[in-house]
Amino acid sequence: MRKNPTFENVIIDLKRFWQNKGCIIFEPYNSEVGAGTFNPATFLRILDRKPWNVCYVETSKRPRDGRYAENPNRVQQYFQFQVIMKPTPANIQQTYLESLEMLGFKLTEHEVRFVEDDWESPTLGAWGMGWEVWLDGLEITQFTYFQQAGGINLTQIPVELTYGIERIAMNLQGVSSIFDLKWNDELTWGDVYRENEIEFSKYNFEQADPKLLLSLFGEYEAEAQALYKHELVLPGYDYTIKCSHIFNMLEARGAISISERAKMIARVRALANQAAELYAQKHNIEPHQQPKDEKPEKTTEVNK
Amino acid sequence: MIDFLLEIGFEEFPPSFLAATALDLSAKIETLLKKEKIFYRTIRTIYTARRAGAIILGLARKQKPQVIETQGPPAKFAYDKEGKPTDTLAGFMKAHNFKPGDIKTVRTEKGEYVVGIKEATGESTEEILHREIPKIIESLEFPKTMVWNETMARFPRPIRSIIALLDRRPLRFKIAGIQADRYCIPNFHFSFNPIRLEKPREYLTFLRHGGVVADPNERRKIIINQIKELGSKLKGEPVYDDAMVEEINCTVEYPDVVSGTFDEQFLELPSEVLMTALKALGNLIWVKNSNKFICVFSAKRRAAENVGIGYAKVLKSRLYDAHFYYKIDLKQGIEDMLRQSREMVWLQGLGSIYNKSVRIAKMLEGFGLAGVDENVLRQAATYCKSDLLSHMVREKEFTSLQGIMGGYYARDAGKDERISLAIKEHYRPKFIGDALPSTKEGAALSIADKIDNVVGAFLSGQKPSGSYDPLGVRRNGYAVVNLIDANGFNFSINSAVAKLLDIYERDFDKTIINEFFAERLGRYLEDKGMRYDEINSALADSNGNAYDIRLRCEALKNYRGKPEFVQLVVGQKRVRNILKGVSDTEKVDPLLFEMDAEKKLYNRGQEVMEKLAPLFNKQEYAAILDALLSMRPDIDRFFDDVLVMCEDKKLKNNRLALVSYINRLFIKFADLSQIVIEADEKKRKK
Repeated sequence: MRKNPTFENVIIDLKRFWQNKGCIIFEPYNSEVGAGTFNPATFLRILDRKPWNVCYVETSKRPRDGRYAENPNRVQQYFQFQVIMKPTPANIQQTYLESLEMLGFKLTEHEVRFVEDDWESPTLGAWGMGWEVWLDGLEITQFTYFQQAGGINLTQIPVELTYGIERIAMNLQGVSSIFDLKWNDELTWGDVYRENEIEFSKYNFEQADPKLLLSLFGEYEAEAQALYKHELVLPGYDYTIKCSHIFNMLEARGAISISERAKMIARVRALANQAAELYAQKHNIEPHQQPKDEKPEKTTEVNK
Repeated sequence: MIDFLLEIGFEEFPPSFLAATALDLSAKIETLLKKEKIFYRTIRTIYTARRAGAIILGLARKQKPQVIETQGPPAKFAYDKEGKPTDTLAGFMKAHNFKPGDIKTVRTEKGEYVVGIKEATGESTEEILHREIPKIIESLEFPKTMVWNETMARFPRPIRSIIALLDRRPLRFKIAGIQADRYCIPNFHFSFNPIRLEKPREYLTFLRHGGVVADPNERRKIIINQIKELGSKLKGEPVYDDAMVEEINCTVEYPDVVSGTFDEQFLELPSEVLMTALKALGNLIWVKNSNKFICVFSAKRRAAENVGIGYAKVLKSRLYDAHFYYKIDLKQGIEDMLRQSREMVWLQGLGSIYNKSVRIAKMLEGFGLAGVDENVLRQAATYCKSDLLSHMVREKEFTSLQGIMGGYYARDAGKDERISLAIKEHYRPKFIGDALPSTKEGAALSIADKIDNVVGAFLSGQKPSGSYDPLGVRRNGYAVVNLIDANGFNFSINSAVAKLLDIYERDFDKTIINEFFAERLGRYLEDKGMRYDEINSALADSNGNAYDIRLRCEALKNYRGKPEFVQLVVGQKRVRNILKGVSDTEKVDPLLFEMDAEKKLYNRGQEVMEKLAPLFNKQEYAAILDALLSMRPDIDRFFDDVLVMCEDKKLKNNRLALVSYINRLFIKFADLSQIVIEADEKKRKK
């Protein structure tokens, strides 16, 4: 454990830790995503049976969560540290716990609790089983064994660990506002991102043009479908991700009704499923149909 | 004597079906031991969030030896006059490989016979367990399972270790690719190093050192004691029940407690809100009327301070949000929520939440239920769904407070206390065995709301079938009959359904819905200990008045023991047989009576009918049965003396009309011909 758990040091330490466990260090995706799961390094790479071990920081954009930098715990853009290991090593839980010790949480001085939480993303047609990990009551990680993605049943089960790194660093530093979090010795998280929070909150809630967004949604959707026709999975998926973000923007803007919302989620899911199917075809993966009652009924946040 | 330990070690198991799984596992082992005739002294179920299994002490090494007797020829053919073995006996012995010492003569009902006796040495316990335990583990069933490794085995969470230790030797089998062995995984807050066990008896003690109280009963006791002790130290009363303790019991391995506090301003919040926020954080227990809580955790004692502070911090932000919602909800007021409820869709195509509350109110009009203040009921119905528009209830964490918040917001708006109480309790019962609304108005509101839920589900094509019941329609239906009966309401579900369909202005076959409720009513009566034939008989002419049907059923049940009852039923069956195929009969014409028995029966029938009318009004079914029974001698005489199916058509029709008239008197109470009497039952089984 370091004496100085700055935000950037937490990231560096996690990267090094998982690098030593055999993960390649990847980078965030180059367009807006709600979670690291959307990154093709997770969503597409988990579909096939080849080993795939990766870690990366993801910029998580959730327009609805913006609070104009006025709420110490809620922001419209923050960071996740994502780990994917496929196949799942049998000792993954212990390795994860060791990563907490490495960060400075001695297991003899804290309580780590695995609280049942079966994750589901309706937009990605993906779900898995696992837990929220609580450190003394604070949720710091989502721990999931993927079962299905893009409507395809996985036969090589990956584990996904999503660390909430601001929360972890805040806890290590003993600060109660994300804006006071030390990024390094000179600057705080607030110094780096306060302006960003204020401007984007204004944009997301007030200035975003629903008309433009709706028309972009339609055009991006058409582009994705056209690209899938040419069997261009990655570019097509790129436009799928854009649709998903635009949907999140429209929702934050309060521009869609409840029934419209459900329809748009279904449209994004259809695109994601197409990407997954196409990817599966290219990699000779047999898509399985899941028995109906195995599917959890729970619905969770769209952008997670 | 040997011991056996089975432990399946897994990652944190879903608490809601952990205990059931562990109990099922040990019950199956017990069944196996009994079936295989393996003696054992005790079996103990073990479970924590990370393990399930059983410890069996004092186990026999082998099956109990079994004596197998094979019947041979009669003794008179087996031995000749001098008592020497015949060829017949020799053949029998050879066929079954018996030695002379195995042969005995036994006396049976059919005379003396020769038997061959063999003692089969039992199979070893080790062999049987080695063969059967994996099968038992694989036979466990769960509401939800997952896959985690190449074997594609399914279990609720990944299995990471198996102990199958028979005395000092592990049984060597594999489940989900995991080799059964002698190592158990301790509480990770204590150590990562597996503990090696030499023999089963070490298990509980060794695990205890590893931070695990594996015996659920012992752990439960510890939890309760710790809560009580800390409660009295805090000079307060911790608020908890058995269900909460069991949930905690299924999430901790090594229980310990620590207290924490929250800001006193949050005590302004309704206690239900406080409790919900605490409960959402897992193992937090409120100390009544104070700003203190107790947290049950599962780590080293040294962690207590961090745990207490950590939970308090998270709780603070949750209560801060709740407090914020509560205040803006009060500011907004329930009238405004009601207005806004026009915008919120209830079920697709079935209008808004506002429409629903108006519909319930309208449906309840004019039912004149005993003890119900119609004015209170109408107002409660109007506002009962308004809180779905409140900020509090719309927040996922507090959705379970629907109704309860409405009660608070109605009271804040100055509504009568009875109105707010009815709103508050109208979701009850939420599950079988849950408390019912404490007032008649609350019960009536709950009934109406739930009938509307059922009708709405049928109208929107979401009626239950098999395991599919997304809207919980069966639970709603059961609750409706339960509420009607428990409150002694004379309330016809069928008329309510018809009225609702009118309000919806939808053309829908109401018999489908009526039958659904009749089925629920049948289930409810069965749970109350009624027999299926009593239920069928009482349901024969039902309008869905659950209370009334229950009274009829009970009268039947109480009458059942009496000797006349059988005669009554037999008589009714006879009547039904005669009337089989007779559609409608004419009016009875007394002038056509030829026999004294006809006249007598008719007169007695009229007499009884007059008696019955007021009894039906008072629902005195025991007296009604008495009155019906009083017709017995006249019915018997009629059938003895009178030939119903006679040549003269006019006479015949008049006699059938008389039988039908008498039958109607019975049917009005119940269809007694549905009762299965013991003799019939035996025949049916044959």
